[in-house]
Amino acid sequence: MAGIGFEIKKILRRDSYLSLFTAYTYAGIIGSGPWVLSILGVLIIGLMSLGVVLPHVLITQFQVTITHLIAMSLILTGFLQLSFTRYIADRLFEKDISVILPNFIGALFVTTAVAGIVGILLALFAFPQQNAIYRILLIANFVVLCNIWIATIFLSGMKNYKAILVLYTLGYSIAVLGAILLRGAGLNGLLMGVLLGHFVLFSGMALLIISSYPSDRFIEFDFLRKKRMFTSLIWTGFFFNLGVWIDKYLFWYTPTTGQHVIGIFNASLIYDLPIFLAYLSIIPGMAVFLVRMETDFVEYYQKFYDAVRDGGTLNYIEEMRDEMVSTARLGIFEIIKIQTIAVLIIFVAAPAILNLIGISQYYLSLLYIDVVAAGLQVVFLGIMNVLFYLDKRHIALALTALFAGLNLIFSLISLYLGATWYGYGFALSLLISVVTGMYWLDKKMAILEYETFMLQK
Amino acid sequence: MSFPTADSADIALLLEGTFPYVSGGVSSWVNQIIRAYPEYRFAVVFLGSRPQDYGDMKYTLPDNVVHVEAHYLHGTHTPPLVQANAGNDAVIAQVASLHKVFRSSQGNTACAFGQLAELLKRGEIDEEFFLYSQTAWQFITHNYREHCTDPSFIDYFWTVRAMHEPIWVMARIAANLIPVRAYHTISTGYAGFLGAMLKNRTGKPLILSEHGIYTKERKIDLYQSEWISDNRNIFEKDPTEVSYFRELWMRFYTSLGKLCYHHADIITALYEANRQRQILDGAPAERTRVIPNGIDLARFQPVRAKRPAVPPPILCLIGRVVSIKDVKTFIRMMRSVVNRIPEAEAWIAGPEDEDPGYAEECHNLCASLGLTDKVKFLGFQKVEVVLEKVGLVVLSSISEALPLVLLEGYAAGVPALTTDVGSCRQLIYGLTPEDQALGASGAVVRIADPQAMAAAAIELLRPENWFPAQQAAIARVERYYTQTLMFNDYKQVYQQALGEI
Repeated sequence: MAGIGFEIKKILRRDSYLSLFTAYTYAGIIGSGPWVLSILGVLIIGLMSLGVVLPHVLITQFQVTITHLIAMSLILTGFLQLSFTRYIADRLFEKDISVILPNFIGALFVTTAVAGIVGILLALFAFPQQNAIYRILLIANFVVLCNIWIATIFLSGMKNYKAILVLYTLGYSIAVLGAILLRGAGLNGLLMGVLLGHFVLFSGMALLIISSYPSDRFIEFDFLRKKRMFTSLIWTGFFFNLGVWIDKYLFWYTPTTGQHVIGIFNASLIYDLPIFLAYLSIIPGMAVFLVRMETDFVEYYQKFYDAVRDGGTLNYIEEMRDEMVSTARLGIFEIIKIQTIAVLIIFVAAPAILNLIGISQYYLSLLYIDVVAAGLQVVFLGIMNVLFYLDKRHIALALTALFAGLNLIFSLISLYLGATWYGYGFALSLLISVVTGMYWLDKKMAILEYETFMLQK
Repeated sequence: MSFPTADSADIALLLEGTFPYVSGGVSSWVNQIIRAYPEYRFAVVFLGSRPQDYGDMKYTLPDNVVHVEAHYLHGTHTPPLVQANAGNDAVIAQVASLHKVFRSSQGNTACAFGQLAELLKRGEIDEEFFLYSQTAWQFITHNYREHCTDPSFIDYFWTVRAMHEPIWVMARIAANLIPVRAYHTISTGYAGFLGAMLKNRTGKPLILSEHGIYTKERKIDLYQSEWISDNRNIFEKDPTEVSYFRELWMRFYTSLGKLCYHHADIITALYEANRQRQILDGAPAERTRVIPNGIDLARFQPVRAKRPAVPPPILCLIGRVVSIKDVKTFIRMMRSVVNRIPEAEAWIAGPEDEDPGYAEECHNLCASLGLTDKVKFLGFQKVEVVLEKVGLVVLSSISEALPLVLLEGYAAGVPALTTDVGSCRQLIYGLTPEDQALGASGAVVRIADPQAMAAAAIELLRPENWFPAQQAAIARVERYYTQTLMFNDYKQVYQQALGEI
């Protein structure tokens, strides 16, 4: 599987403004495609159902159900996301190809079992108003979503971004089509359509993985054995996802800001929409992140470790270290720059945009701070990515725990302070995490050779 | 197999790669010494490379060995848990000054080492410090930049690590060894370094008895070793320069030797030339003395009676068939000898399994010189049996120390013909004026000169030369090279070290 870096480099080799633009566009589509597609999919289904699915509260119920399922599934699979990817990467490094497929199936099995139990509990106790079909669809959607994240993270770990994009496009097209065809059946019809799309998406990814990593065994649980996965990564994945969603949960379930929608699923009229829109603003940041990290940074990263392993001189090793530092720094600053531009554009254009889609100007200030926060989240991802490359797992863990903890505390404070402060909890927690992350990155980069040589385990 | 242990002993023998696991000249000597002094209780500290390199013990332990420890420099040592630490600049300054002394061959090694050993004892410098500290890292990189001519940093780094690993093993042994009244090391190298450490810790006297020349043996090892890399490319390579890592290892062994010489209270050499070399290498002259090996006369005297009246024209090389013994020169010499004395024969008494390739070449050489029926490879033989039947003991070696086989030949009444290596000249012509007055007990020729050797052999075999040489040989060995003399000398060494005089 050729990495994305290779593709982007090929485009960049043409060395013109057009090729540069092409490269970034490509990276933007690749990097943001999946989640933009899922947001758009849910939005389109909602729009297409207007006037057909009645009463309108059903559409809201559908959107809130999906949002909650996505949030829960991300947090739940967070435990496996990073740790399992690393487990697979380590096996690939050891050239132990035959364990990959059975353990992937094993990971899916564990995910299905746990998600199934959680889903069944929800279906049994959380939705007394809903019929059996809704509850079954809830369980099914939840389990499939969890498995999708496992498969997605596996494929992105293998740098197979193209396949992910193609499959997401296919999956969400089917989801939209299915939902439109089944909208006659109301809420359950919409959920059924989405389930179909998600199922196709998951099956496609699973088939790709099964065909890419042949094995003579079907299922194994080697990854669950002691010392096979890094505990630090298990918790890092969990904390990151928790950190991203915890403020949303607070706003959903605080009586002043959250409303009851369906069963135990709440929504926050004031908080949800701006953040939803704000996430669309990070597409350029994600593009830069991908180009810088997967091409320049990785190039010097490879050269550095090759020089270490193959007997380069200390000067050359240090030069490569310096190049690595400067590409990492450049990458992070470029993300900041491009997101700053995005923020400025949103600041200027937001009132017009809100008008255009018929949303109250009341949301403006929250949208502004959310756009800043979303931009910071990309920077945070960039820092985390470098930390993972350098295998500084404990720092990554501390940062994500810091982020989750701060987001909890600051969001509570912002709720207490009142509406003018909404969104600041999320933004500030990210800002502090980013600054702390940069500080540690700087510190670790300065002693990289020392740690590489002297502290090898 | 469980070792005997004790709470204390009189003398701790520090043995690197010899007794009781490896057989050979030095090991036999150690065995001899222990058995000679039943009045002393010995502790044996064996230092090996890796546990798997040794089989069972080759010697039964004498009763007065009350305590045995076996330690291995590689493979059994588990490094401490990886944990970054800042290190300590003051300690590194000490280390740097010691290295500077090593590098310059000027300055006071003992003093620099003493301060370091003190730090080691107090635990201010430990393995974590060396392995994981930032100051150690800075020191290593600084030295790489300053001195390393090989480009590969990772090789340099691991060479430095491999070099220092045994130091921590040694420090641990030194910290845990039972109390004794004196330490006796039979070589410099790691055992000698351990001796220096122990001396530093306890203040008890250290005796060094050198048989071979440790650095020279290591040099030969290093040249034969495949694992030392040389990463210089064609433009960086200066053919006159050895690989930097070889040089580094050599300097390391030399430094270990220096430390041992500085700390040893009594330093013995097997022969005078070796004592001079020790002084050159940093041993204080006033602490050195020569104690040659001695043999058990009683074992060989009876052989004289069994020998034929006329010296048989049989030349015998007693030793392993390996390149260091230069058996090929012995065979080539034989061609000339047989041309002049057709009935002459050459015997080679020694195992051929150590270097089968070389043994093969020797056989081929015999065939190509048409000597197959004249040169006999006897394999391993009892020395007494061989000495009954031969006319001359021949040593064509390119390196020797004090070959016991010459003395054994003398005691059995066989003169010798040798190359000019080690103590051979002194064994043939005598050392002191009184010794020289006994006459020549054979002849010495240049190394790798078969013609000169053949001429000397033919001369020696003539009865008018042979009988005086036999007289001189018997007189020399009985006066200067007996076990009794050696035991007396060592008794003095021990008494002095243990404060009994």
